[in-house]
Amino acid sequence: MKIESTFKIKKGLAEMLKGGVIMDVVNAEQAVVAEKSGAVAVMALERIPADIRAEGGVARMSSVETIQEVIDSVSIPVMAKARIGHFVEAQMLESLGIDFIDESEVLTPADDKNHIYKHDIKTPFVNGATDIGEACRRIGEGAAMIRTKGEAGTGNVIEAVKHMRSMTDGINKIKTSDQNELMSLAKEIKAPFDVVKEIHELGKLPVVNFAAGGIATPADAALMMQLGCDGVFVGSGIFKSGDPKERAEAIVIATTNYNDPEKLIEVSKNLGEPMVGINIDDLDEAEKLAKRGW
Amino acid sequence: MKTGVLALQGSFYDHVQSLEFIDQDYVLIKDTSDLSNVNSLILPGGESTSMIKIQKNNNLFSAIKKLIESGIPTLGTCAGLILLAKDVIDGETSLGVLNTVVERNAYGRQNQSFEGLVNLLGNKEMYCFIRAPKILSYEDSVTPIATIENEVVGVIENNIVGLSFHPELTNDKVYLDWLRSFLKDGVNVRSL
Repeated sequence: MKIESTFKIKKGLAEMLKGGVIMDVVNAEQAVVAEKSGAVAVMALERIPADIRAEGGVARMSSVETIQEVIDSVSIPVMAKARIGHFVEAQMLESLGIDFIDESEVLTPADDKNHIYKHDIKTPFVNGATDIGEACRRIGEGAAMIRTKGEAGTGNVIEAVKHMRSMTDGINKIKTSDQNELMSLAKEIKAPFDVVKEIHELGKLPVVNFAAGGIATPADAALMMQLGCDGVFVGSGIFKSGDPKERAEAIVIATTNYNDPEKLIEVSKNLGEPMVGINIDDLDEAEKLAKRGW
Repeated sequence: MKTGVLALQGSFYDHVQSLEFIDQDYVLIKDTSDLSNVNSLILPGGESTSMIKIQKNNNLFSAIKKLIESGIPTLGTCAGLILLAKDVIDGETSLGVLNTVVERNAYGRQNQSFEGLVNLLGNKEMYCFIRAPKILSYEDSVTPIATIENEVVGVIENNIVGLSFHPELTNDKVYLDWLRSFLKDGVNVRSL
């Protein structure tokens, strides 16, 4: 007897990615660099977040050709982004044989009210969240993995830190609440009761939680790991830097050895220029990608 | 008496949880210096390409290989099986201590990943196969210990066990009882 794509299998793949680095790539060539540098998975997208930010316009799912090219070029899992609420892009990614779908705020949302009902799609989903309530809502819809949103394409880690701390606070609040308080808490954070109850019983999120959005250096990756995330997504930070291969390898080693400052010093040498960062205060509210979705 | 759990990347905390269930002391292995006082080993699931790349920076696998060849009980699950295998199709041979030919991702991509009823040591249990490797063939010195629909998905050779699937995500009693005795004394305590 074999049963495909159960929720246990969906979140099981995320479990296997823990302690690893998932890298944004826009073509097969970058995907190969990522795999050789030790990435646990690659994320195929049309343009990396820093370029989406600079160029503007509507950002959509990658072209079918690019996705197929990336799938054919590497042996590690391939993820791809679909727009928030765009369940047809998700159905297409499922049929293309993508291993994980990121319903991402980095792309232009397709639905201003609703996210995708993810239980109906065989492929597991990862969703962004800025706090525990948002994480619970996405898990309720079927997300098998969460990532804190951070602020993609800025090379500035402050928002990633803010969202990770907020997530930890939220989990602690649920964990330490009396069970009589859980429904009221669920109401307050606008979260499905069942998910809140599960977090209360487990003492942690029921799915893996990575950090994303603004990680640009080995030290940034180690910081997020020390703050308690299970792994990191690096987008613009690698392929917008002076020496992508060196930097990618350094971030991978730093994510494994996040508690070892000597190792972090060693891998941080001779990395070339990091990506140019953006101060969050310089962004208009409308430019903040983390505000997309709810 | 400590079990070393390879902790470069992957589901190593799930194995740690199994060890906590059976009150087994453990140490996370990231560097050769972590290997002292280790007398059994677990190589977890994860991405084998990533683990192989990460260990190149400190030559961890040559030390681990020596330790395994000294005869200590060693369990590899999924990517751990790939690390152990002597021959890897669509991947790199790394430790090469288990006389099997293994093919990476041979059951298909994530959409083909499944929970399946496995006969492990005579007991049937549902286990997770996640982009799992397939055991294509093995030498005479290797004995099958797990099957699914008559296909071999787990083997043992001397004190080395390789499984295509993830018992650490299920932690059933039969597995945990076997793990306890295997890590303590190796294969000889229990006839397979």
